Amino acid sequence: MANVKLTNVKKVYGKDTVAVQDFNLDIADKEFIVFVGPSGCGKSTTLRMIAGLEDISDGTVEIDGVVVNDLQPRDRNIAMVFQNYALYPHLTVFENMAFSLRLRKTPQEEVYKRVTEAAEILGITQYLTRKPRALSGGQRQRVAIGRAMVRDSKVFLMDEPLSNLDAKLRNQMRAEIILLRQKIDTTFIYVTHDQTEAMTLGDRIVIMKDGFIQQVGTPTEVFDMPVNLFVAEFIGAPKMNTFKTQLVREGDKYFVTPYGARIEVTGKKAGELLAKNVESQEIILGVRPEHMTLAKAGDADAIPCTIRVNEMMGSELHLHVEEANGDRLIVRIPTITLEDEQRKSMTYGQTLHITFEGKVMHFFDVQTERNLLA
Amino acid sequence: MKTETKIKKSGLGARASRRISNTIVYIILIAITLVWLFPFFGIVLESFKVNTTAMDGELFPEVWGFDNYIRLFKETDFLKWFRNTAIMGVATAVFQTFFVLSMSYTLSRLRFKARKPLMNLMLILGMFPGFLTMILIYKVFSELGLTMEMAPVGLIIVYCASSGMGYYISKGFFDTIPKTLDEAARVDGATRMQVFYKVIMPLSGSIVIYTILMGFMAPWGDFMLASYIIHENSAGMSVAVGMYEWLSRTMVNSNYTMFCAAGVIVAIPVTTVFLCLQKYYVEGVTGGAVKG
Repeated sequence: MANVKLTNVKKVYGKDTVAVQDFNLDIADKEFIVFVGPSGCGKSTTLRMIAGLEDISDGTVEIDGVVVNDLQPRDRNIAMVFQNYALYPHLTVFENMAFSLRLRKTPQEEVYKRVTEAAEILGITQYLTRKPRALSGGQRQRVAIGRAMVRDSKVFLMDEPLSNLDAKLRNQMRAEIILLRQKIDTTFIYVTHDQTEAMTLGDRIVIMKDGFIQQVGTPTEVFDMPVNLFVAEFIGAPKMNTFKTQLVREGDKYFVTPYGARIEVTGKKAGELLAKNVESQEIILGVRPEHMTLAKAGDADAIPCTIRVNEMMGSELHLHVEEANGDRLIVRIPTITLEDEQRKSMTYGQTLHITFEGKVMHFFDVQTERNLLA
Repeated sequence: MKTETKIKKSGLGARASRRISNTIVYIILIAITLVWLFPFFGIVLESFKVNTTAMDGELFPEVWGFDNYIRLFKETDFLKWFRNTAIMGVATAVFQTFFVLSMSYTLSRLRFKARKPLMNLMLILGMFPGFLTMILIYKVFSELGLTMEMAPVGLIIVYCASSGMGYYISKGFFDTIPKTLDEAARVDGATRMQVFYKVIMPLSGSIVIYTILMGFMAPWGDFMLASYIIHENSAGMSVAVGMYEWLSRTMVNSNYTMFCAAGVIVAIPVTTVFLCLQKYYVEGVTGGAVKG
């Protein structure tokens, strides 16, 4: 239970390979924070610097107000769960979980109590006498979490703990981590490349790219107001549709003109554009696939497209469509809204008209790719 | 129907040809085994000969008996040499294992500037034959008083001194143990030393045993360097040097069978150590540690 503060943290490998830079972040006590980004963005490196497994090239890391830059991992009072579990193969599950307590010379009864309690919570009591090799992937990951749980550590670090599990188990374990979080009330720092995990687990999400923080915010914030094109495309699945178009200002009203259609900006976004006094200009427009809807041919806001791929997901259809210029867009349509006839007609090569509402758009600067409203 | 019989026939044919090739392979293997085992059994049989003390050209003894063994302990300093060598073996095994494993773990896990240059340097140094330094070692040791009856101490130093250079095999083994195990242990509160003996050592049983065996066996087989340092001083002799005397000059005909008896006795500790330790040769011990 502690706050973690990173100030101007930088990591350089060798002479000039910069992995992380200008990393500033205040993590509150008991907060669940998620570092997310594509591989090579520096998220794991940052976590490992907090853990003490990597040297910090520049800047400071504080845990509970103490600068820990030069402290060994064992002196930082942190617990960590690794992607590949890292269980001690020569020890039983019980001894794996008791390892850190034994190193601290914890009394035997205390060790027994803590390990059995953690095993109870994780549902691995019946495996306590087994060796890790006799466990399945999911069970091993539980042991790894248990090993971190038995300690009263200040910070709980997790480095892609679910990446090695299959999709079904991953969903299950994700839910269990949320439950676990309520039981062990401590500061969590969680690294993942999966935006779904980030969105569902984090109190706040830190989105990283090329060693820089792109945005820090709650899941709602980063989803509703991505600060730049990268965040917009990274968060949300399938990814946001983005395309160049004109933003036209006519008095107090704004319109966008994608692919010959004309759609008025409405709702909060219109007010914000006006408040910022944004002039007519070329922009990159972003619209999430779930905000795209079907339109009638001939309507002013209809964009004609050709269906290229139709992915039937069960509850919804993911239509990959191609616009006349060759731009690819993805449209998510709930199957319940479609008539059977209509659904059957959505096949390769068919023409389709799509549109979107004025209140769901995101506007990005063509040069800087920053959100015009952020 | 026709095709069925065809298939059956070809199946039979395949089985027959496999049987023939197996037979040939086994004949070759048996021949090689005989050639390989002959010296061992030759020496054992030779040591039980009572009727002669020289090579008589017979494989089996005419009269069986323990005379050679009795003579060995009664008439020679063999027991002392044996003790010298055993002490050297144990000491070398202990120190050498410590040096080799420390070196290997360091080179496998720690990253420091001199790591690569050091490894290259050791590779190059290792290419020079060890006996190039023999005269120098003798000079230094005779100044220090570590020759003659003190030779066992000197020899232990020689065997252990540069043993760290033999890190290749165990470093290769340590490299296969996932680094995240070290990291997990360090986060769990272990020092580097604790990581080494609480996590890495238990997982390295086979390589530790291998290193111990190599260290233990070195003094039993070393003749060249040992004979220089010991310099015909019976009190400091190892078995190899001592036994050599019996085969030299005119002694060969009066001592040959006793030499064989000594050879059998020398084989006992090495074989015992090997048999005792080989059950620890556990493979696949890292199973289940990490995803894989």
